[in-house]
Amino acid sequence: MSLLSLQDLTVTLDTPEGPATVLDRVSFDLAPGESLGIVGESGCGKSMTALAVMGLLPAAARCRGRIDFEDQDLLTLDERALCALRGRRIAMVFQEPMTALNPVKTIGFQVAEGLRWHFGLGRGEAEARALKLLDRVGLPQPRFSPDLYPHQLSGGQRQRVVIAMALACDPALLIADEPTTALDVTSQAEILALIAEVTAGSKMALMLITHDLAVVWQNTAAMLVMYAGTVAERGATAEVFARMAHPYTRGLLAASPGALEDILPAGRRLATIPGQVPDPHDRPQGCVFAGRCPRVADDCLPCPPGERLLVPGHAVACLHPHEGETPS
Amino acid sequence: MSSETRVASLREFWQRGRGQANLMIGLLVTLLLVALAAVSLFWTPYPVNAIDIPAKLQPPSAAHWLGTDQFGRDVLSRIMAGARNSIAVSLVAVGIGAGIGVPLGALAAARRGWVEEVVMRFNDFTFAFPALLSAVMITALLGPGAVNSIIAIGIFNIPVFARLTRGAALSLWQRDFVLAARVAGRGRTRITLDHILPNIASLLIVQMTIQFALAILAEAGLSYLGLGTQPPDPSWGKMLNEAQTLMFLAPQLAIFPGLAIMVTVLGLNLLGDGLRDLLDPRLRRLR
Repeated sequence: MSLLSLQDLTVTLDTPEGPATVLDRVSFDLAPGESLGIVGESGCGKSMTALAVMGLLPAAARCRGRIDFEDQDLLTLDERALCALRGRRIAMVFQEPMTALNPVKTIGFQVAEGLRWHFGLGRGEAEARALKLLDRVGLPQPRFSPDLYPHQLSGGQRQRVVIAMALACDPALLIADEPTTALDVTSQAEILALIAEVTAGSKMALMLITHDLAVVWQNTAAMLVMYAGTVAERGATAEVFARMAHPYTRGLLAASPGALEDILPAGRRLATIPGQVPDPHDRPQGCVFAGRCPRVADDCLPCPPGERLLVPGHAVACLHPHEGETPS
Repeated sequence: MSSETRVASLREFWQRGRGQANLMIGLLVTLLLVALAAVSLFWTPYPVNAIDIPAKLQPPSAAHWLGTDQFGRDVLSRIMAGARNSIAVSLVAVGIGAGIGVPLGALAAARRGWVEEVVMRFNDFTFAFPALLSAVMITALLGPGAVNSIIAIGIFNIPVFARLTRGAALSLWQRDFVLAARVAGRGRTRITLDHILPNIASLLIVQMTIQFALAILAEAGLSYLGLGTQPPDPSWGKMLNEAQTLMFLAPQLAIFPGLAIMVTVLGLNLLGDGLRDLLDPRLRRLR
């Protein structure tokens, strides 16, 4: 049984230049306690997927398909029902801890906020639980008093506060949208370790959104490569890394710096993927990656490639996928 | 928040603010005005409305510090009581403006769509008339008097606060921490109360001091035209009006209330500017 299940989710934004398709028939399942990494470059629909699950898409967005969460279709719920889910069953960690905290409220207030709202706890009880949460995310008392304001903390410490806020109501699903992008390298490792620690051994599912393949490699059991609002490749993380089939996935790997030295030769130059993500107002008929693909052939252009199963649990949306092991 | 942190931040404010001349002068003038008005409640040098014809039109002296008017009433006593009147009218008028304008602006920013359109078009409608002229019109309609002048000045404070609140709130609604609050399941009302309003409080405080100065001017203007406070209650504007005919005989009668208005408005403006510098970190000078 899956906790979260997206079925053919298509999101179109009404813009002054006409409708823009930002997600195109995205499907995936996430079971309780599992972790899923969603990877892709800027503008490929990662954050849109997260916002769609939270029901926080911009007003101009039109959705088709289904988002089933705990046997309810989120797309059919009204705002009141969504408010009861948000923060309670689904929580989110943001990219930019500098702006994700209210500058004029204490961290204790902000961590306790969800508890007071969802569980109807009194102020004293909620703040007592907030102390425990701060402790759990590595902000021990009395050094990190709940009376501190966000500007009195470093970036990594603020992200810990954001994680404490997300964990407050013990959600079933934690969405982390680029949780380490704004942090320095050492804080990145600590925050990722913290997220792994709080999700391990619990039934909390993790949806980790990142542009960094290394983060996916280290933190998630399954992965999804997205490109221009479509799923390019999916599977168990180890399997996908071992046999990357989509030219885009291989391109991403070749363009990743550092941290992957164990799979990449030393001294190589970083590769780039030429071109840009196609304009969502004007998507190509066929494969969306065809315009940048080194392996493009005539049959890629007329119609989009469906997803094909390579081995059980590893699928790719490409007519001419790479075969064999990822070269090192 | 514990009381220690609150005290600590107040002390920090005091230390930063002490060096600002405009803030300190503004604060001093405002406190002086409030003190004058407060003292007038239970003591004035002479009874405010006591007529003493033999002592009329005296120049400033030891007995009457600021002289007497054409009925022999003590000008200092009347200015003190007039301060009370000005403060009361302005305070309530700004209270009406902020009390209605801030919720309207916050509502417009939170709901967007047609709610926002209705609120903002209503604002534009009110803004389209020159404030003082409309105040004259309203008092002419409702009849002259202190209460009606309060209503008239209050109504024209509403759009000022509604616009300011909406503009500031709109930019806050785009910020991540508001998104974070929505992700945490908070509704628009709670977000407005807990996250939006505390972030624009300093802006509103500054605007209130400035509107307060404008309201004092407006009250004086209405009273001068005979539409505000009615005789024999003292009012700075009324005093100016009565002094007009005696301009060459007893110029001090016009000078002292005029000075009172000028110093008060200047003081409040300095206070507003100083508070803005103090509360807005972007305008804070690097030291």
